[in-house]
Amino acid sequence: MSEIPWNVIAMQLFFGIALGCIFVLLSSGMSIIYGLLDMVNFAHGTFAMLGAYAVFVVVSLSDNFFVGIVSAVVIVGIIGMVIEFLLLKPLYGKDPLLPLLLTFGLSVAIPDFMKIAFGLIGKPVNFPDVLSGAITLGPLTLPGYRLFIIVFTLVAMISLWLFLKKSDLGMIIRASTRDSQMVQTLGINVSRIWTVGFGMGVGLAALAGAIAAPMMSATPDMGVDMTMTAFVVTVVGGLGSLGGAIVGGLFIGLVVAFTAYVAGAYSSVAMYFCMAVILLVRPRGLFGEQGRE
Amino acid sequence: MQKVRFFCKTGFVMLLVGLISVTLLAAVPTLATAQQKTIKYGTMHPLTGAYAVLGLDQQRATEMAVEEWNAKGGVLGHKIIWLHRDDELKGNVAIRRVKELVEEEKCDFIGGTLSGSISLAMNEFACKTKTPYMAYCMSDMVLGADQCEYGAAFMMLPYSASLAVSQYAFKNVGKKWYSITADYRWGHSLLEGWMWQSQQMGGQFLGNVYVPLGTTDFSTYFAKIMAAKPDFIVMNNLGADQTAAIKQAVELGLTKNMKIICTKTAQSTIKELGPAYNENVIGGMTFYYKLRDKYPGAKKFVDKFMKKYGAPPEQDGEAGYVATNVLFMAIEKAGTVTDKKKIMKALEGLKYQLTKGPEYVRACDRQRVSSYVLVKGKGAKAKGWDIADIVAEIPGDSIIMSCEDNAKKLPFINVKLPK
Repeated sequence: MSEIPWNVIAMQLFFGIALGCIFVLLSSGMSIIYGLLDMVNFAHGTFAMLGAYAVFVVVSLSDNFFVGIVSAVVIVGIIGMVIEFLLLKPLYGKDPLLPLLLTFGLSVAIPDFMKIAFGLIGKPVNFPDVLSGAITLGPLTLPGYRLFIIVFTLVAMISLWLFLKKSDLGMIIRASTRDSQMVQTLGINVSRIWTVGFGMGVGLAALAGAIAAPMMSATPDMGVDMTMTAFVVTVVGGLGSLGGAIVGGLFIGLVVAFTAYVAGAYSSVAMYFCMAVILLVRPRGLFGEQGRE
Repeated sequence: MQKVRFFCKTGFVMLLVGLISVTLLAAVPTLATAQQKTIKYGTMHPLTGAYAVLGLDQQRATEMAVEEWNAKGGVLGHKIIWLHRDDELKGNVAIRRVKELVEEEKCDFIGGTLSGSISLAMNEFACKTKTPYMAYCMSDMVLGADQCEYGAAFMMLPYSASLAVSQYAFKNVGKKWYSITADYRWGHSLLEGWMWQSQQMGGQFLGNVYVPLGTTDFSTYFAKIMAAKPDFIVMNNLGADQTAAIKQAVELGLTKNMKIICTKTAQSTIKELGPAYNENVIGGMTFYYKLRDKYPGAKKFVDKFMKKYGAPPEQDGEAGYVATNVLFMAIEKAGTVTDKKKIMKALEGLKYQLTKGPEYVRACDRQRVSSYVLVKGKGAKAKGWDIADIVAEIPGDSIIMSCEDNAKKLPFINVKLPK
């Protein structure tokens, strides 16, 4: 029996976690939106794409990647809030299909607009100098940017958790996720909370797009796959569950990485296979609440 | 009062005469056009989807060629009416729209597409309807049973690209290679060419990974490749897949220890990758705009295209430009616009010089025999469209198998692809 190449397995584990971290950011946004508004945002990947373009524009102007990331979240978050306020809000309480159709429409229209504005050729975002290069740990070569993704996601998720658990606004958001009518009766303007929540959700999508941009360039059509991945991870983790988004994201990242190692051609199919199995065995996902399936 | 009446009457009559004259004058050119003889050429391009930038290039170059012919009076006195459709890079859409072009718009000739599989489907449709079809993309349609007398291919057979690039790589880069292959027919055809050439030139094949189309994270494939330590990695992919793969290979520092060889690359990919497409990345193309420094025809074509559209043409545009020109040349040679069989016969063996050196359409299978160009990236030194330099131009005759072998898909049918 041939020897197991442990260094390759360890690197595969590392790449899988780094990939999973992007999925975590992407799907936690989708989860927040679903939890709060009870709707699947079909334009979620489109907002990630906007994040990638925002980081491209800001980095071109400021030459600072970190300013680019923060700006991408703020810019796309505001765009999201405006869209929620002007387009989605009038549809609440009507046919639940309408917000779905609207976000689907946005996922078609926004990329076309980006093609007109930025052209068909993708826009490159360079790796920040401080994070380019790799760290060698014995037989392992770990690229600096992937390490950054892992650490950054960890910090972002802890911050999000603290915000939702400890801050007043976070508590209101959580309460609205549980029972928005009750929150409304307490005299809180839930409509405004929905707007903020939607902005937060798409802001997280933008963060995922901004972080992924140096690895793949910003292209108008990149959102399609990102929406699908976010959907798969959210279903696996459990619709509306932040913990589910984290576990689901990391799990799918590792599944993709190890399938790529043993049977490359099936790496994309593998995540859909996982989703199918989860739906059959536990329809509410790994961490989803009963009744939300 | 009578004077007023007279003026009113005269005014009314004059108005009527004026209106009739204007109508007649407006109708004259229409009548003239109606009398002018026309032929219809319909083309398909992926104007939406992953290859939209290349599809747009095909469309523009075709437009330019048609305009040039119409400016000199059309073909055999027939004005060319050009129609085009977006095939969205989807087989079902392509078939629906090509039917529309032939059955509803009554196109006499069809052309275009960027996908090998769509070109196969269009070729089948062309065979059934006896409509001459000029394929713009890398396609196997002239091989074996796919052949029919109404199809002609104007880019290159996929294996020819592999033979050209591998020839250069085994001579100049090294012997040990690992490949990343897009998991569909075109990628497999490229890999077959590499495997065969590797056997001929003493290459050492270390392994291959098949990657699904649309993969965005390639890092998960690189750990295995890094451990194998090849002299170079072969990229049998294109577009966004190739962009992501090269970007991430450079991120992991792979190009410090090994080269990247793209069997086929694109100008837009090099532009998009910027500094990542450095001097350690080599790619193949059927046409690169810097050929204008070598051939007067290329200079004329590139300068005109750049003036009209603001950017140099891609290889896909060039293929469309040549295909359109050669079709009209064949019509002139045949001396008929209606006898499709005679036109296709005239196309066989047709010699011309348009955008490169002397070329011809091979008589036995109507495949354009053309050179393949290898370029090396300029990385951080790139400026504007000065993004890569030509390192070699491999003659077309040296990378195409005989007609007899092509018909039997030899020698590649005997190549065993890795699982």
